[in-house]
Amino acid sequence: MVTNLFVKDRVAIVGAGMTTFMRRALETPRELAWEAAKMALDQAGLTLKDIDCVVIGSAPDTFDGVHMKGEYLADGSGAFNKPMTRVYVGGGTGVFIPVSAWWHVASGLCRTVLAVGEEKMSPAHPHPQYVFRYIWDPILHRPLEPNLIWIFAMEMRRYMAKCGAKKEDIALVSVKNKRNALDNPAAQLAANITVDDVLKSELLVWPVNELDISPVTDGAAALVITNENVARQVTDSPVWIEGLGFTLENQHWENRELAYPRYLNYAARMAYKMAGIERPWKEIDVAEPYDPFDYKELHHIEGLMLARPCEAWKLLKEGYFDRDGELPTSPSGGLLGVGNPIAAAGVMKVAELFWQLRYEAGKRQVKKPVHRAVANAWGDLMQAGTVIVLGN
Amino acid sequence: MSWDKDWRTSEIIFWPEREEVDKYVYTPGISGQELAKALMDGRVLGIKCKDGQVYVPPKTYCPDFSQGELVEIRGPWRLLHYTVVYEDLYGNRLQNPIVIGIIKPDDASNGLIHIVNAELERLRPGMELKPVFKPKDQRKGIITDIDHFEPV
Repeated sequence: MVTNLFVKDRVAIVGAGMTTFMRRALETPRELAWEAAKMALDQAGLTLKDIDCVVIGSAPDTFDGVHMKGEYLADGSGAFNKPMTRVYVGGGTGVFIPVSAWWHVASGLCRTVLAVGEEKMSPAHPHPQYVFRYIWDPILHRPLEPNLIWIFAMEMRRYMAKCGAKKEDIALVSVKNKRNALDNPAAQLAANITVDDVLKSELLVWPVNELDISPVTDGAAALVITNENVARQVTDSPVWIEGLGFTLENQHWENRELAYPRYLNYAARMAYKMAGIERPWKEIDVAEPYDPFDYKELHHIEGLMLARPCEAWKLLKEGYFDRDGELPTSPSGGLLGVGNPIAAAGVMKVAELFWQLRYEAGKRQVKKPVHRAVANAWGDLMQAGTVIVLGN
Repeated sequence: MSWDKDWRTSEIIFWPEREEVDKYVYTPGISGQELAKALMDGRVLGIKCKDGQVYVPPKTYCPDFSQGELVEIRGPWRLLHYTVVYEDLYGNRLQNPIVIGIIKPDDASNGLIHIVNAELERLRPGMELKPVFKPKDQRKGIITDIDHFEPV
């Protein structure tokens, strides 16, 4: 264990919960939050009375169509009469929620924190994609009517060009994750598909096809995060938060390296340093890299230093990242298979690692013994990286 | 520098923008769905929690996160607090001021916010009110199915 003199309390996750991820939920956003939060509390064997503080994360208010979504969700997140914080760093929010919960506990301010991520993307019509119009520079970019998939397509193309990966190699990520999701009861898009299916699905923005992209999803996920004293009382197998990192790269995406995610690499180095990890490619047993697009998982595997730059796609072909492989990635099914309710998706990834590290993942449990795990998320105007390292 | 004071809009370059999304489609939720059905029948529902408290409108979960039981709210309803609105959002003087009140049924621990149709001089907290529903064919399963509350 690495000791950090500046941290008052060691921090552990003791419970996790999530709703089924689905396309159009009848549940209100609050009800989704409640369902996940209740499940996390039940798993921890705690009740709302044991919760000191609440951290809520949710992406733009314009998805759910309710302004001040933090205050709105507070009710279903058990934040009644408690200190509540809402965090938001775009798509990076999911992992930023446990990061924020960590400093609530590590500082000694709160003993036990309920950390909830929620997103209901179905209210915005005709498509939540329109919400993203307002993330662009109003003078330089917006008149061109940009679309998020533009960036992804360029990144994907750059990765393919620089690393010599073919579309078929990248599509394998989608195949793997959707297959992994078959064992996840909460999954929205679990399927046995082939590389061919991906290549033949609708071409959206070259070279991105429909099956390269994660779906639009409603859902929530929650964690119970507490200090060492409480953790030792409530469970025999706490999962420790050993490292965390978050960074912002260049705001101007024209100036960004597209083939390698530097925003993530900086955050990963911060997290590994805190966790005392020097060779992540050897020391990490299971990972949940953020995979809103299939190439993005490869990108993030490299950014997390689990593979050398430009080599992730080669290892993927060998089955290195399969559930029974040497370094399983996205054993949950990832965003491609389980779904992508922005903030909840990141929490789902951390929850999956929590279950993996406690050997509670059931059919999804990876074959090898696990000791340390890493998850990341990515967001803002595609320049925010958030990383969390867990250990059992 | 404030351009709307110094220049006319014709003298600056600007980009008008459209709305972010065309519309939002909200769902009522699990207990909200039950409330919607009840409103169509001219009834109001609440939720009874383990500690005996009844909340209106019903929620799927109680403040302690346990699940409660749906109950029908029968009243009588009483005015808790009220205010009188004299201008609309655009600053136009309203011909008939609108009374907004929080109206609590005796068999629940909280109240609903709604419009009260009563003469201003008759208003006093604690007075008994009753919900007036819209005609059955105009009800949509939303809170405005109760057209207003009025004195008994």
